[in-house]
Amino acid sequence: MTEFGQALVNAIMLGGFYALMVIGFSLIWGVMGVINLAHGEFVVVGAYLTWFMNRHVGWEPFVALVVVIPVMFALGYLVQRVLINRIIDRPPLVSLLVTYGLAILIANSLKLAFTGTPRSVTTALSGFWRVADVTIPVVKTIDLMLALAMMAALSLLLTRSRLGKAIRAAAQNRRAARMVGIEIGSVFAVTFGIGIALTGAAGTLFSLTQPIAPFVGLPLTLRAFAITTMSGLGNISGALFGSMALAAVEVFVGTYVPGVGTNLGLVATFVVLVVILITRPQGLFGGLPPAEE
Amino acid sequence: MNRRPPCAANASPLLEGRGIGKSFGGLAALAGVDVAVYPGDVVGLIGPNGSGKTTLFNCLTRLDGLDAGRIHFKGVDITDHQPFQVARMGMSRTFQNIRVYRKLTVIENMLLSRQWRGARWPGLLRPSRPEVTERADDLLEFVTLVEQRVDLAGSLSWGQQRLLEIGMALMSDPDLILLDEATSGVNPLLVDAIRDRIMTLNTTHGKTIVLIEHNIELVADLCSRVVVLDHGEKLADGEVGAVLDDPAVSEAYFGRRGLNG
Amino acid sequence: MLEIAQRQPIRWLRRSGLLVLLVVLALLPLLAARGDGDGMVNNSTLFSLTQMLMLVTLASNWNFVSGLTGYIDFGHVAFFGLGAYATGILMSKAGWPFLPTLAVGALSAGAAAVLIGRATMHLKGPYFSIAMLGTFAALREIARVARPLTGGGPGLTLPPYLNRPLFYYLALGQAVLVVALYRWVRRTEFGLMMLGIREDEPGAEMRGVNTIFVKTSAFGLAALSSGIVGGMWAYQNTFIDPDIVFLDSRTIDMAIASVLGGLGTIIGPVIGAGLLYWLRDVVWASFLQWHLIVQGLLLIGIMLVLPNGIIGLLGDRSGLDPRRIWARRRKR
Ligand SMILES: Nc1ncnc2c1ncn2[C@@H]1O[C@H](COP(=O)(O)OP(=O)(O)OP(=O)(O)O)[C@@H](O)[C@H]1O
Ligand SMILES: [Mg+2]
Repeated sequence: MTEFGQALVNAIMLGGFYALMVIGFSLIWGVMGVINLAHGEFVVVGAYLTWFMNRHVGWEPFVALVVVIPVMFALGYLVQRVLINRIIDRPPLVSLLVTYGLAILIANSLKLAFTGTPRSVTTALSGFWRVADVTIPVVKTIDLMLALAMMAALSLLLTRSRLGKAIRAAAQNRRAARMVGIEIGSVFAVTFGIGIALTGAAGTLFSLTQPIAPFVGLPLTLRAFAITTMSGLGNISGALFGSMALAAVEVFVGTYVPGVGTNLGLVATFVVLVVILITRPQGLFGGLPPAEE
Repeated sequence: MNRRPPCAANASPLLEGRGIGKSFGGLAALAGVDVAVYPGDVVGLIGPNGSGKTTLFNCLTRLDGLDAGRIHFKGVDITDHQPFQVARMGMSRTFQNIRVYRKLTVIENMLLSRQWRGARWPGLLRPSRPEVTERADDLLEFVTLVEQRVDLAGSLSWGQQRLLEIGMALMSDPDLILLDEATSGVNPLLVDAIRDRIMTLNTTHGKTIVLIEHNIELVADLCSRVVVLDHGEKLADGEVGAVLDDPAVSEAYFGRRGLNG
Repeated sequence: MLEIAQRQPIRWLRRSGLLVLLVVLALLPLLAARGDGDGMVNNSTLFSLTQMLMLVTLASNWNFVSGLTGYIDFGHVAFFGLGAYATGILMSKAGWPFLPTLAVGALSAGAAAVLIGRATMHLKGPYFSIAMLGTFAALREIARVARPLTGGGPGLTLPPYLNRPLFYYLALGQAVLVVALYRWVRRTEFGLMMLGIREDEPGAEMRGVNTIFVKTSAFGLAALSSGIVGGMWAYQNTFIDPDIVFLDSRTIDMAIASVLGGLGTIIGPVIGAGLLYWLRDVVWASFLQWHLIVQGLLLIGIMLVLPNGIIGLLGDRSGLDPRRIWARRRKR
């Protein structure tokens, strides 16, 4: 029973992180039709940024968010302006190759800048609560709260603000949005910026629970893809649900199947992904657009 | 008009669909439609926009999965066939929003639509045989595209692409041809050419044809039978004159106005 | 007809140029033997050329699937890896001689591709790409975990055998064969079907093309060939572990070589691979740790600036334009 309760708590905490990690990916894919294969690398950039503020400036990792969010927003804005906007109307293969190139570029630049040695942040919040033999770490609880808060904020932004309206209009019909005078290039750049800012924030949460290394991005991209495929593009509550489901699979497989290390979590993700893709090519909630045209 | 007489009703149908149902989300695009096409027929399939005509074609060619119903072609139940198997059995079609291989040449488009029935691995590993190329060239003549033989299909005009699609549909020497708005967006001169070709195919080559058409005049001209769809249901099915005079049909098609008013 | 007559000398030139190139490539190792390893062609040049020829083959395989059928495969290195591990395991654990392990590696890579392809090639566009990326990442983890068989993270050591000319000739032979084979297939009905799938898959299916058969056959053939390269690479390297075998930058190399030369053309990946190696050895050999960064930039740059690759620059003169091929066979 304790084992089960512990696994459940772990799954919820991990799911919260996944939800924040995936939402930027889902937003960018949903609004622009770009599958950002450099997504995991942006998480890692956010994590290194947090580590840098923690190590060299001495800030508490959570405080680093005030730097991470604006810096990552600017980075995302820039990437969209100079790179993605140029290829947005070309076949999807082009954006796949370009963002894959970007992933390699970022991962290896990180290795050059920070070497391959894994880095960890230090935090004063390393305590935990015990509830009926189940351990609940303080850091992960804050992680979960922050993730939920940021997702709620994004949801409000998209539904309540003029910017959100413009973003949704651009997502639905690029040409029509252009015609009613929406400056689509900057709407996209802002969208990409918001997506990357959230992704960077997920990097901060990441840094608090795992060591950071340059090449841990790809598994995160794969997870983001799996979750988005499950939950439908740009669907925030779906993303939360899908993240929890994937985290539950990973944690419970890790807990109950003997001889399975954490590394195989990725294999579990992949199995889930392929099964979903093959059995439900339209996504679990029917949110995926046709891949052609 | 020298149209073939419609076949006797007691002949067995070439294509028969029973109770075909198909929905997209909550919308029933087809709600239990029965169709039968007899050898030698030219059947017109008409109905207002969004009434399910193209969806019916997609179901018959097995591109779309059915929610209900069975389809028989040449007496074989093809409900669980793949589209390519249906095509190889002798059913070919054209598309409402033209589907030619835009970046391939006209002749390559033709060669790529040949009858693949019986084609096996080793046989595929050689260039198209002379008789196939010859057939393609003959058909290009038939659809008046000899001049454009080595042009990229994407560079042809809309009407020429429609003609190319008809040529491609003929490459496999099909028994049944489904034409989806073969004359829409085509200039009047070419419309006449297309009408002419359809007529020849039926009378001279004995092809069975089903055509989706919004041009009622053309339907009246070419077809022996007409099937009318409305909101996914079959509204009428029968001899051309009778169906077009049916007030229920003109009601569905044109609102209050009569067909000629 | 006049136009065709004028083209004859160009084709003749191209053919004899190719012949000269092949003869030079075939004679290179003899120069190396004469030069005692420090002449014009020393062993390390030969090694580097061997790597280049392997990339020619790999890029051609990748392009055969991704360029001709349009299924962008981000996990192709998985099949290279299967070949490498087949050779590695059979030689180091079962004591097999080298050549039979190549056959086993090729067959297991080909069979795996057909099985995986059966599942993943139903997926469209990006879904396929990511499923293959996932396949590759999963295989790498499995190689890490299945320690009794694969040696796990610490890897496997193969019996050392430093016969550079042998590997060179094997790689050269395979590259020539594979490129010739793909060139042949491109002109057959099978090749036409592959292009049809790239242009409009449902359309091809409805015109009688058994698309899943064509796709998986092409995929299996390419994987088989990549499995052979993997086996040769493993033996030549005498050591394998999950990270150097299942290296994502190897897939990137294949993609870059193909798009640099011209995606979907037969000669493009050959030109691209050659150029990439020349750049790597000559231009950025001196600042090695930058090499993958440059690689990423290169991929982005090509997509932005040279979407049709070097062949695209040649335009009509490339002789690869389908209009040209058919003009020569024009009837009447
Ligand atoms: N892939 C699809 N997804 C969702 N809805 C669809 C799809 N295809 C068709 N529909 C819907 O099904 C209904 C029937 O469409 P269909 O294309 O068969 O009509 P049609 O009779 O061919 O019309 P038209 O004369 O305009 O070509 C329409 O309401 C259409 O919106
Ligand atoms: Mg229609």
